[in-house]
Amino acid sequence: MADRTDLAFFGARQLAGLVRDRKVSPVELTQLYLERIERLDGRLRAYITVLPEAALASARRAEASVMRGETLPALHGIPYAVKDQFDTAGVRTTSGSRILEDNVPTADATTIARLNSAGGILLGKLNLTEFALGGTQQFPFGQPRNPWNTDHDPGGSSSGSGIAVAAALCAVSLGEDTGGSVRSPASFCGVVGLRPTWGRVSRHGSFPLSWSMDTPGPLGRTVEDAALLLQAIAGYDPNDPLTSYAPVPDYGRALGDSVRGLRVGIIRELTFGADTEPEVRDAVVAAARKLEGLGAATEEVSLRLVPLAGAIFMALADADGAGVHHRWLRTRAADYDHGTRRRLLTASLIPSVIQQRAARARALLRAEMLDLLARHDVLLCPTAHQAAPPIAAARAAIATRHEAAGRFFTRRSYVTPAALAGTPAIAVPCGFTRSGLPISVQLIARRFDEATLLRVAHAYEQATDWSKRRPPDTA
Amino acid sequence: MSDLTTDHVAALAAALGLQVASDDLVEVTHRLNALIEVLEPLAALQLETVEPTPGLADGPPAS
Repeated sequence: MADRTDLAFFGARQLAGLVRDRKVSPVELTQLYLERIERLDGRLRAYITVLPEAALASARRAEASVMRGETLPALHGIPYAVKDQFDTAGVRTTSGSRILEDNVPTADATTIARLNSAGGILLGKLNLTEFALGGTQQFPFGQPRNPWNTDHDPGGSSSGSGIAVAAALCAVSLGEDTGGSVRSPASFCGVVGLRPTWGRVSRHGSFPLSWSMDTPGPLGRTVEDAALLLQAIAGYDPNDPLTSYAPVPDYGRALGDSVRGLRVGIIRELTFGADTEPEVRDAVVAAARKLEGLGAATEEVSLRLVPLAGAIFMALADADGAGVHHRWLRTRAADYDHGTRRRLLTASLIPSVIQQRAARARALLRAEMLDLLARHDVLLCPTAHQAAPPIAAARAAIATRHEAAGRFFTRRSYVTPAALAGTPAIAVPCGFTRSGLPISVQLIARRFDEATLLRVAHAYEQATDWSKRRPPDTA
Repeated sequence: MSDLTTDHVAALAAALGLQVASDDLVEVTHRLNALIEVLEPLAALQLETVEPTPGLADGPPAS
């Protein structure tokens, strides 16, 4: 049997097999992750709430099921953790804000109920930027830190979801992606993050930001694990009228299939644009070449509105968020982190003509993307224009509008196109900077074609060893 | 579009019943001006005939 650190870094699918074969017990696994949280999370601050008693009780029940020889669901005995944006019955759910520090839901979010039904063991609730907005200056429940270099940003808004997977503080995690909130932490923390098609996964019981873009999404150390978690949470939910009735395919089935003959469009503006740092560009181009080597056909493609995607997104999603928060902005403004408050106040004042233009430009951008995806199986670009920046950089005061534009719009133009178009997208590790920080390639597929997305991502992952590396000081 | 001043921003906020603390006012003004400026190129596009739909999920399956 592998040593305990190796075991903690195993993929969830691998662990599920060990549990099924009675080579590892759910109690042993749960204790392993709880010990790691106890030892490492004081430094990383991935968790807001840890649930040792409840997790061990679930693990003991799971172990009893194994010993009785029962038929076991896909995630049976697998310790997972969720962004503290998802309601958990009887467990405090803060959305990363002091405003909700005493909020204890009475019911589980649909995603949580489905993960538990699939046999998952909930370890705890994960840290996030306040109300999943991004830009938090002072985290109310501790500053989350990147496991690859704790002076650096882990990404957001699902910060803890990225950290916990990267540092093996859980087997898999659930995040939520409105405009990159799963893919950004996956990118910065060197793990896999999947944004499903909007409407594929229920939003019920998740604190909202933007109704037309919010979607829960899995993070894992492998593409296989992202597929495994998606399988558990996808599908129609009567509590979310905007979920799709489309049947959920077997996402695991296509993993391992060849990518020979698939067409890959490399988004020129994001891959070769001036904002993309050379180390990132080189790693992403190398990833495209790797897919070519596996038999895919690549070509450069252009999306003319993509450089404006970040600003279009903020004009729409932030305005939605301002509506969600209007009452608290009037009555509890001082209880927000000042970064969150300033973003929401700004969003409250966006002129309607700007919002209308942004909404129409979004429709144009979506049409351009869907047109490209009619001719290509996937689109490819960096997940982020840079590796994880220092935490201190995000705390610098904004003294000019130019600084505001650089801070808020540029980086979002890489992850928001898929959100604006409602397409699925996945972030996969594709290299490291000279300073040892992860770099990530993003793949985007047609609506409801997560199977192709996962197939291409898996083929790339299997042909490289980026996902096998571990952050320092996480033994 | 003309630049918004801190006075403009405070007045807009007040119209919505929002108070912007003096600590926040300069940065909120920079953020709002930046967003308006960055999206200015959209004014040159032929957007009037584009319907601003977000791309909705499908309906129930045919029985």
